Amino acid sequence: MHALIVLSLLAAPCPTRPSWPTESWPSENLEQVKLDRATEIQALEDYAFTLTGTDGERLGLRTESLLIIKGGELIYERYARGFGPTNRHLSWSVAKSVTTALTGVAVQLGALKTSDSVCDYVDARTELCPITVQHLMEFGSGMHWQEGYEHGSYQRSSVIAMLLGEGHRDMPGFVLGHQKQAEPGTRFNYSTGEAGLLSEVVRQAGLKHGLTADWFWSELFDRVGMSGVVFSGDPKGAPGGGSYVFATPRDFARFGYLYLNDGCWNGQRLLPEDWVTRSTTQSATFKAGAAETDDTSNGWMWWLNDVVEKKGERPWKDAPTDAYSAIGHWGQFVVVVPSRDVVIVRTGDDRNDGVDLNQLIPLALEVAR
Amino acid sequence: MKRLALAVLVCVAGCANEAADGTRTYATNDAQLAVANAAFMTCSCIFVMEMTEDYCSAWVKASPAVARVGIDRQNKSVESSAFITWSAKAHWVDAKRGCVLE
Repeated sequence: MHALIVLSLLAAPCPTRPSWPTESWPSENLEQVKLDRATEIQALEDYAFTLTGTDGERLGLRTESLLIIKGGELIYERYARGFGPTNRHLSWSVAKSVTTALTGVAVQLGALKTSDSVCDYVDARTELCPITVQHLMEFGSGMHWQEGYEHGSYQRSSVIAMLLGEGHRDMPGFVLGHQKQAEPGTRFNYSTGEAGLLSEVVRQAGLKHGLTADWFWSELFDRVGMSGVVFSGDPKGAPGGGSYVFATPRDFARFGYLYLNDGCWNGQRLLPEDWVTRSTTQSATFKAGAAETDDTSNGWMWWLNDVVEKKGERPWKDAPTDAYSAIGHWGQFVVVVPSRDVVIVRTGDDRNDGVDLNQLIPLALEVAR
Repeated sequence: MKRLALAVLVCVAGCANEAADGTRTYATNDAQLAVANAAFMTCSCIFVMEMTEDYCSAWVKASPAVARVGIDRQNKSVESSAFITWSAKAHWVDAKRGCVLE
């Protein structure tokens, strides 16, 4: 009994908030902010909503939604290109950050340890068994993978092969069919396949622990008001955790808000203590295998605003140092800025250009001042 | 005839299995990938994102633009095909899993 009391005193307390946006986002000041911050909003919209060329030319920034949460309140929201608050957007790689959140939920529930081998949950060759859950979270499996999208040769893209080609009927099996090229934890190789494999490992861990087939919803999405999330995958039921989360921008904002609040929701800890800190700190694999070659550092599938050795400066140097972001193809972002108590969600369809977070974050923070 | 020539070209490009620089080359050709993309993305766009057919048609467009798409709203499925040889189908599973490429 005494030990329990001591443990609970040592545990990091969950942040308190006047309300939690499980049902809906408080937005009483939306109109007032429009008036008070008209100049700042104009500057933000001039950047984010100015179309280049005709729609068919797919040029420039093609923002489909932009939301700002400040102090737990929706203070700015705009949609474009036919989208509204109820339309889901395809996350692309924002899904990777959702997948490590689900990993955290599984750890918190006792269903999984980050040191567990992938072989504890999926069928894999013996030589792959040293790969742990943490290695997957750090893109550090050491397995061969050619991340590539529509601008290169389709036949050279492991991602396209997995989602649309020979891998689409068994995505985890396809990933695990690749060669081992390095020892786990020694080489950072950004991989949609690894994130997808992680989502299946985590799903299986939950099932093994006795959770229901829909435990991603019952243990995370429903609890934070993201019940409408759609998580697509392969025909066998493995989730496409590297790319296939569909959610409304308000739901993506809830996801950011969970991280802003240290993995807690309404007084309840959903992610383990230190999970958010570790997720948003340069990972061991990144330090070991990418700091000299990559521009932006990575935690547990979150992109960070710290100095990377190769570049010698922060990627978003005009944004607060503590900003971090989930980032997806074609311009999907969930940005969290703890020092400003802000979450920024931007979805879009940028095909030839991309949002520069070094511009978007400061412009949004001016609105949230 | 033009279509046949394009199909042959696509297959030659797609079926090649050589990786001179040491990278792996996957087997699925561009036309098959294009129809798979069209089926899954259109299904997701219409039934998960709940966007209009006009938006989805523009959003899904990919190179090579060879896929012809048929949407079955009653059964919530999308079939796509290119030339005579390549086809793909995606169907909506449920409110949690959205669409899946068969």
